[in-house]
Amino acid sequence: MSKVVLELENVNKTFGRRKVIDNISLSVKEGEVYGFLGPNGSGKTTTIKMILNLINRDSGIIKVNGYDTKKQFEQAMECIGGIVENPDMYKYMSGLDNLKLHARLRNIDIKRIYEVLKLVELNGRENDKVGKYSLGMKQRLGLALTLLHKPKVLILDEPTNGLDPAGIKKLRDILKEIAHKEGVAVFVSSHILAEMQQMCDKVAVLDNGKIVKIEEISDQKEEETEQVELRVKNIDKTIKILKEKFNIEAKTEKEIINISLSTKLLPEVVKELAISDVEIKAVIPKNHTLEDIFFDATEKENNKK
Amino acid sequence: MKIFKLFIDENIKTWKKLSTKIMIIAIILSLFAVLTLVKFMEKTEENLLVYNSDNSTGENEKEFLEREIDFYESQLKNEKLDEETRLVTERNLEMYKLYLEYDISPYNNTWENELVDYIVEQKINGQNTDETVALLKNKNYNDYIEYQKKLLKQQLDNNTISEQEYNDELTILELKGKYEIGKNYDQESYWKRNTIQKIETAQNSLRTGINKETNKLINAEEKKDLEDSIKLNMYRLENNIPDSNNGSNTNYRMRFELLAPMFSIAVISIAIIVIAGGTISNEISTGTIKFWALTPNKRWKIMTAKLLSILFYIIILVLITSLLSVFIANVFFAEDGETYLYCQNGEVKEIGNTLYTIEYYFVKAIPIVIFALFAVMLSTITRNTAVAVSFSVALYIGNGIAMQIINQFITKDWVKFIPFNNLNLTTKIFPNATDMTSMMFGTNFATSTSLIFSLAVLGVCAFLMLVTMYDSFNKRDII
Repeated sequence: MSKVVLELENVNKTFGRRKVIDNISLSVKEGEVYGFLGPNGSGKTTTIKMILNLINRDSGIIKVNGYDTKKQFEQAMECIGGIVENPDMYKYMSGLDNLKLHARLRNIDIKRIYEVLKLVELNGRENDKVGKYSLGMKQRLGLALTLLHKPKVLILDEPTNGLDPAGIKKLRDILKEIAHKEGVAVFVSSHILAEMQQMCDKVAVLDNGKIVKIEEISDQKEEETEQVELRVKNIDKTIKILKEKFNIEAKTEKEIINISLSTKLLPEVVKELAISDVEIKAVIPKNHTLEDIFFDATEKENNKK
Repeated sequence: MKIFKLFIDENIKTWKKLSTKIMIIAIILSLFAVLTLVKFMEKTEENLLVYNSDNSTGENEKEFLEREIDFYESQLKNEKLDEETRLVTERNLEMYKLYLEYDISPYNNTWENELVDYIVEQKINGQNTDETVALLKNKNYNDYIEYQKKLLKQQLDNNTISEQEYNDELTILELKGKYEIGKNYDQESYWKRNTIQKIETAQNSLRTGINKETNKLINAEEKKDLEDSIKLNMYRLENNIPDSNNGSNTNYRMRFELLAPMFSIAVISIAIIVIAGGTISNEISTGTIKFWALTPNKRWKIMTAKLLSILFYIIILVLITSLLSVFIANVFFAEDGETYLYCQNGEVKEIGNTLYTIEYYFVKAIPIVIFALFAVMLSTITRNTAVAVSFSVALYIGNGIAMQIINQFITKDWVKFIPFNNLNLTTKIFPNATDMTSMMFGTNFATSTSLIFSLAVLGVCAFLMLVTMYDSFNKRDII
């Protein structure tokens, strides 16, 4: 089992009277890209700032690699790297000089700096002043800065802001690479669903300071249940067959039958139905998208109120 | 050694900024501005001197004396003159006659003028003037001193003066004779005359136990100061070290050495305040505070590194300025600079000009630390660079005049606890040096506290500001 490297337990934060973070608990394992999803103002950035100890939490425990971020601040910060809001650097200094400042604090040699610069494809531009960089380059330099010391946990707050599609793809590749190959836990916040779908292994949905859902994103895994939409002529017969032979509860909605079943079972079901002559019009697998998760979760929350 | 690494980073960050370089240039320029000013003064005053000496040629003096004598003689013929005016007129007539006879300038203030006054006095009193007139005729300064000594001895024998007074006066006369003070009337002997006067005043105060300047009884501490001052002034005469206090106006190097620290320290102060006022607030507004906060360094270490880097910056700037000041003084002025003298355990010691200049700069820079701390504190609390810088600069510029007004209207004892009343440390560390601030604003009971008291007040003040800024930076959310 991979190790849990970032752990939040019953974390609370209030600004004035408003409760911004309400009892959040989550845990991120090594080598996992963990999405942190939520609409604007749901408390994503606040949570990230609390993890990075930029703002104080009211109660709860945050542990990074087993170290409490408050009591064992320095050990915890050794294992963590992060970008919050914007990757802010000293604009009057070159990218390399900015990295060198950081490298000195963490005893990193110059080789590693060039290694990271190559990784984020900034080599060749490292001697330019940061003020002359484009937004995308600044983002990449920020990423380089956080990667310098090989953190165990990488925390990124909306890292795709201001990146072009190619840049987003590149970032995604970098993050996946360092997560899956080097075993870094990557904690990414965003409000862009499609992006997260492609990047994350697991997603927590945050709404109004509460985690409303934690969901693994399926990646064509075995033993996964799937939502399938059946369109047939003979609805009653189909439901009967499904119930008797496969023990599947079907829901009908107008002329559409919705079932959920394991991926393995699907060919058999189709075969059986075909033999039974129910006149299949279409079998449509419904992708279990992040959008569904997100809107399901946030709507449920809103309906409760 | 995490703090040390943070400190190095802070310095790199500061020195790479363009504004830092501009500030250094501004400071260097301020020194050259003072140099130009002093050179300009020198030029103007030289012209003035030439003009004056043109006006007082020997020929004119003689005409002037003859005219005056004619005038007084015609006055005396007037029968209606009252007794008092007649006396004054007679006296003046005698004086001018002697001036004319022995070719003495009436504008001067040498031993000859002194002797003429004495002879006139004798004549009025109907005493024998043969001996004194002979002295005037021979024009021998040493004989004059000898004559004075003889007079003094007579006074002692007649019991008109005490033994103590006799000894004091004798020392003065011997000093006068040795260094020929009052022999000639020129700029060179001017400071010597002032110095001998100071010795005389101090001796008088010691003898009578009453401070002549304040008309108060002197205490043990003052007594020691007076004794030290006598020793110092004798040392000055002996080694020919003029005192810049003593108005030897032609030493333009000393004038430069007084003005240069004033101007350049003011420029350094503003530069430091601008840097200090942005320490935390600038980093927060540009977001670069995260750069430091996301490293495994506790916040107090980050803060300490920032403070240390400001202190280091002050030291570097002051060192550069003082060295440059010494360099400029040596290159552009032919005169000797001020050598600082002080008394330690009754022994006179010297600090050479270079070392003294550097020390003076550093002592004068101590208040910068206080203002820098104030700016950092405001920067941390308000998180607004404009507020921090403008308040601190206003306080820096305005505190002198504000305290002047407050000290005038509030004569309570607690005024001396106000930190701004304790900022002027140069007069306390170098009590024998000229201080422009006290020359401009004067000293009063509120500013005449001891060095240790002032340092204690400033220390408490700095401590409170440090506690405030550390507390604010540690506890508040960074963004």
